[in-house]
Amino acid sequence: MTFKKYNSYWIKFLNNKRNKYSLFLFSFFFILSLFAEILSNDKPIMMSIDNELYFPIVVVYTDKHFNGYFDTEADYKDNFMTEKMSKKGNWVVFPPNPHSYNSINLNNSTPNPAPPSQYNYLGTDDRGRDVLARLIYGFRLSVLFAFALTAIGILIGLFFGAIQGYYAGKIDLYLQRFIEIWGSMPELYLLIIFSSLFEPNIFLLIILLSLFGWMGLSDYVRAEFLKGRNMEYVIAARTLGLSNTSIILKHILPNSMVSVITFLPFRISGAILILTSLDFLGLGVPPDTPSLGELLSQGKDNIEAWWLSISTFLVLTGTLLSLIFIGEGIRESLDSRS
Amino acid sequence: MKILEIKNLSLRSKKNKTLLLKNVNLTLNKGEVLGIAGESGSGKTLMGLTITKLLDPAIFEILSGEIIYDDNDILKCSEDYLRSIRTKKISMVFQEPMLSLNPVQTIKTQLYEVIKLHITKNQNDIEHLSKNIITQIGLYDFDKILSSYPHMLSGGQRQRIMMAIALVCKPDILIADEPTTALDVTLQLQILDLLKDFKIKNNMSMILVSHDLDLIKNYTDRIIILKNGLIIEEGITENIFENPVTDYTKQLISSTPDRIVTAKASDIKILETNNLSCRFPLNNSFFLKNRKYFSALSDIKIYINEGETIGIVGESGSGKTTLAMAIMQLLDYSGQIIFNEKDFSQLSNKDIRKYRDNFQIVFQDPFSSLSPRMNILEILSEGLLAFNKTIQHEELVEICSSLLSEVGLANDMLFRYPHQFSGGQRQRIAIARALSMKPKLIIFDEPTSALDVIVQKNILELIVSLQEKYSLSYCFISHDLKVIKSISHRIYVIKDSRIVETNSTENILKNPQNDYTKNLIKSSFLN
Repeated sequence: MTFKKYNSYWIKFLNNKRNKYSLFLFSFFFILSLFAEILSNDKPIMMSIDNELYFPIVVVYTDKHFNGYFDTEADYKDNFMTEKMSKKGNWVVFPPNPHSYNSINLNNSTPNPAPPSQYNYLGTDDRGRDVLARLIYGFRLSVLFAFALTAIGILIGLFFGAIQGYYAGKIDLYLQRFIEIWGSMPELYLLIIFSSLFEPNIFLLIILLSLFGWMGLSDYVRAEFLKGRNMEYVIAARTLGLSNTSIILKHILPNSMVSVITFLPFRISGAILILTSLDFLGLGVPPDTPSLGELLSQGKDNIEAWWLSISTFLVLTGTLLSLIFIGEGIRESLDSRS
Repeated sequence: MKILEIKNLSLRSKKNKTLLLKNVNLTLNKGEVLGIAGESGSGKTLMGLTITKLLDPAIFEILSGEIIYDDNDILKCSEDYLRSIRTKKISMVFQEPMLSLNPVQTIKTQLYEVIKLHITKNQNDIEHLSKNIITQIGLYDFDKILSSYPHMLSGGQRQRIMMAIALVCKPDILIADEPTTALDVTLQLQILDLLKDFKIKNNMSMILVSHDLDLIKNYTDRIIILKNGLIIEEGITENIFENPVTDYTKQLISSTPDRIVTAKASDIKILETNNLSCRFPLNNSFFLKNRKYFSALSDIKIYINEGETIGIVGESGSGKTTLAMAIMQLLDYSGQIIFNEKDFSQLSNKDIRKYRDNFQIVFQDPFSSLSPRMNILEILSEGLLAFNKTIQHEELVEICSSLLSEVGLANDMLFRYPHQFSGGQRQRIAIARALSMKPKLIIFDEPTSALDVIVQKNILELIVSLQEKYSLSYCFISHDLKVIKSISHRIYVIKDSRIVETNSTENILKNPQNDYTKNLIKSSFLN
């Protein structure tokens, strides 16, 4: 029965073409980007040298494996390696886009940033790194970051909202004052201070942003719980002798998930936007990490290099738009009135 | 003389094409009161709204028919003409006065607006007219009433204001759609008497839509019985009540609950309260001495014997539900509640939870008392699992199906969700949930108020038969003295947080001492 109910929401969601295509496109690109290492890498997927099979994409081979001199990992773009690969009987399979996000094209004849060419399909950025590779990795990082930030935010928000709404009274009063004080802290300044104190990395960003990101949601959850705690079926559950925890989990939570589900896609797109804007300002992830915001700021600095700004712009708006369409679709299909 | 005639009116909903009114024919004569009776969903309200063409054309579709007023077919008239006759010639009063008045405007603005629109723009005349109508509908503090906002007035006052607005133009026809349903019983008669007086003075015709057959019987000349959008019986009021023709009408008329309680009560007290008081803070002042409290219960002393039903009757806001919540240990109170010789006021919340299987409650609204996301098996087994975690699934299914058959439902319904049931069925499920704990005492908080009269009777019969079978004790709370009378051994009358009278049911009805009780009995047409 439960399945049937959810099934009908699903059909309603897919009935709208805009929802269907947004969901399809977003999931397609996201799943593709999860295999970024296979799609875009400066290491070959597999190769055969002197009748021996190598899988450089998963196994780290040093130069010495190929009779070189160094103990460091082999550079498959180096002349030493390319000569070996092109020997008779040897073969090599490179990924479709033979660049990683931080590999620099040293053989470029044009100055960086270089326009699209047969070597770099979307050109290079101002340090000679492949734009397509950086877009693929950057998109993946943004979406994963957004998922993590949203999940943490929802968990904390649900927890505090549930406690405030269910117990109400004094607990609610104190937590609400705490939220007011906490929420009035200047988030951006804190980020600037922390990024100068510590080496900025993605986990630090997630922690810092999660500390503030839950408050918007907890307000809605609190309101739903305040409403739910006085519903007659909740009072009935109390008279049946159920504990507070099981009342919260079994009775009120399922009925107050609407706000969470409705806000989910908007929170995800919001998180992507936060990461992008922090990177744009240079407060986000460290410089060698692939990020959409960093590409945008490069595009701003090199305004004539249209391949930087236009490609990033398309990826970013495409992602945000499809997420928002999906969100609206979910909200409409869950709305029993329409 | 005919003033309004409806011919062959059929109406359907645009969305799922169901017929809501089927070939309705009716006539209304000058100076006559026509009653429209039927259970919820029968199309009573739709009929009223169609007459003034107030139905939303995006949702409803008129298939055929004519509504003839003043030689014009209202259904074909222009919107301009309709605006000129609404309120001026055909006026309406709705059930919920709080929703019909604009909360951000004073009564003065809202009343003057109507007069300006339909009668006169002369300021002196407006004042004169509104003073006139307000005294006619029984409100005397003219200036204060006019300068008030709707929330400052009581429910009864608001409904009077609605009537003033509806009647100020002296319309030919008044359509009163459940005008007293949201009001306390003692106010019902006053409001209807006012309407009746006004009708006689101004030779007005009236359509009274109500589910309450007692009102219809006492205030109408002719009635129409509606069922599923079809007129199934029509005639002079007395004739229909004396010689109903169709089975449905017979059922409807006989649904006024008779006295059905049979169980014999013992002398062992199962519940006793002493000096039970309960108050809510009105303002949350930091200083204790500045705090003001609203007293919801003061000094309540009641007892219930084993196998006995006590009825608690009172109007809204009198503290009935607070009393139920206090007995259920769901809010803070002072005083003693002794259950089975155990003083609950001394126990902590955690200890009380161990005794919760002894007393259960059934609520008024069967739509909000069942969690919409749980199926019936989950709802019924919840309490069992809270007390016995080791119980097996097969055993649970067995217990729950026997519970369902106990309350007269088929046990293949176990895996359905609440929204798939009707109001009466849901109330049966709520009773089954209470029974699942094998309680000694069940509190019913207005269990039948949200149900249609025929369903109400069935539920009451179920409640009584369960009492006989398991010698349960009941505390039955209702605003409706007729329901209380039919199933209680003893009655407590509660008013303004105090018990004003208590006695056995027969004695209270035969020989009421308190004025309020007398009034209540009169308003319930029980004398």
